[in-house]
Amino acid sequence: MVRPYLDCNSHALRPYLAAVRSTLTAALTLENFASQVVERHNKPEVEAQSSREVLLNPLVISRNENERVLIEPSVNSVRLSIKIKQADEIERALCAKFMRFMMVRAENFIVLRRKPVPGYDISFLITNSHTETMLKHKIVDFIIQFMEDVDREISEMKLSLNARARVVAETYLTVFG
Amino acid sequence: MILLESHNTIIQTVLAEKFSKPSSLDEHFVDYDGVRFRLSTPERKTLLRLSMNIRCWDQLAQYGAQQILEREYGTYLLPEAEPEYSVTLEFDTEKVPAEGAARDALIKSAALLKRIALGAPFELAFKNALALESGGSPPNATELMQIHYRDEEAIFVQAASDRVTVVFSTVFREEADRIFGKVFLQEFVDARRQPSIQTAPQVLFTAKEPPLEIRSAAGLKNSDDIGYVTFVIFPRHYNKPDVQNSTISHIQLFRSYLHYHIKCSKAYMRSRMRHRVAEFQKVLNRAKTEVATTERKTASGRTLVTR
Repeated sequence: MVRPYLDCNSHALRPYLAAVRSTLTAALTLENFASQVVERHNKPEVEAQSSREVLLNPLVISRNENERVLIEPSVNSVRLSIKIKQADEIERALCAKFMRFMMVRAENFIVLRRKPVPGYDISFLITNSHTETMLKHKIVDFIIQFMEDVDREISEMKLSLNARARVVAETYLTVFG
Repeated sequence: MILLESHNTIIQTVLAEKFSKPSSLDEHFVDYDGVRFRLSTPERKTLLRLSMNIRCWDQLAQYGAQQILEREYGTYLLPEAEPEYSVTLEFDTEKVPAEGAARDALIKSAALLKRIALGAPFELAFKNALALESGGSPPNATELMQIHYRDEEAIFVQAASDRVTVVFSTVFREEADRIFGKVFLQEFVDARRQPSIQTAPQVLFTAKEPPLEIRSAAGLKNSDDIGYVTFVIFPRHYNKPDVQNSTISHIQLFRSYLHYHIKCSKAYMRSRMRHRVAEFQKVLNRAKTEVATTERKTASGRTLVTR
């Protein structure tokens, strides 16, 4: 399988993303499973948490103390939560803005959850109906691509903010001469 | 446009038009810092009135704004302002200078009304500083002047024998504004290290705590969302009249300039995020399986239609 997007990354990021990719692929073995508690209900078990025997062990993959992924599999759904790197106040503000921006558009991103799991910045919920209507490996590709791009986007936004601030300050002070 | 202009474009264009083609009008418009303007022709269409309401007029008048306006506008300035306004200028379009440089200068100076009124305390401070430098001791020369030009924000001006200190207090309404503001102000502090702008005024920035110069002032808030920016203006920026003029125009606009650029960068972030989200959307769309929608026909060539 060709993975061009992995090759352009730093070596530290690559094993992290590879681990997420294989764990998520393994977790995405979902089947249609009706609720055991309520008749004629069919809900993502990882969200409903109504019967313990259909929940699998949750798993945390962490790159360092600030960056980690939580994968919670169950019989008919997988919940994946991402904690994005935030080194300082600026990155924290930018990340919060960006994630909010994504989540208010959750309707377009079918697998996106409207609220993150506590302790994480963004969560995805993949159910069996998603894996039936969409290509499983492409969903995994999307998640991995998202993780890659989001870090880059936030650091680029921070750089552009700093660059703008410098130009603005210098222009203002140059006029005094 | 990186730098803001200190004149009001609406006044400039409307006056230029009405001086050559008088017609009746009654227009209200605004400028930075909650300044309201009214351009009207109350009696006849050749008699134009320009009124300005500025929040801190009482303070400005205390620092000699009235005299400065009289000096700038002479007979155009009415002794009594219109009700609800602080200053009123009146122009008789039949008596204004003929089209040309003199008229343009008049229009330009009318468009600078806010700049001239708000410039009074700065002018006073520079005058006092120059007097102190040459050994004189004008009354109240080192008094801390306060101009509360917005609801929660103020400018403080203080003269000394070798410098004039201008402190801006500024409020950041949102958390993001506060963080962006901090980045911008830090760059203002650092920019002076550049060799080309080492002669610019020194900039100091403190968040939350007011600087020592203005600790004595009453009603200072001590909250997280407030920032204080201090400019130390040296004699080289005010010892020549033309340089002093441009310094005043420029320093007045600092707060608007800062907040304008904070808003610009927020707008830029939004457009970036919009673009990025569209890219993510494309990636996710690749995961969707295409549903084959080929036309189904019967053996005789009829099309099957689902109801």
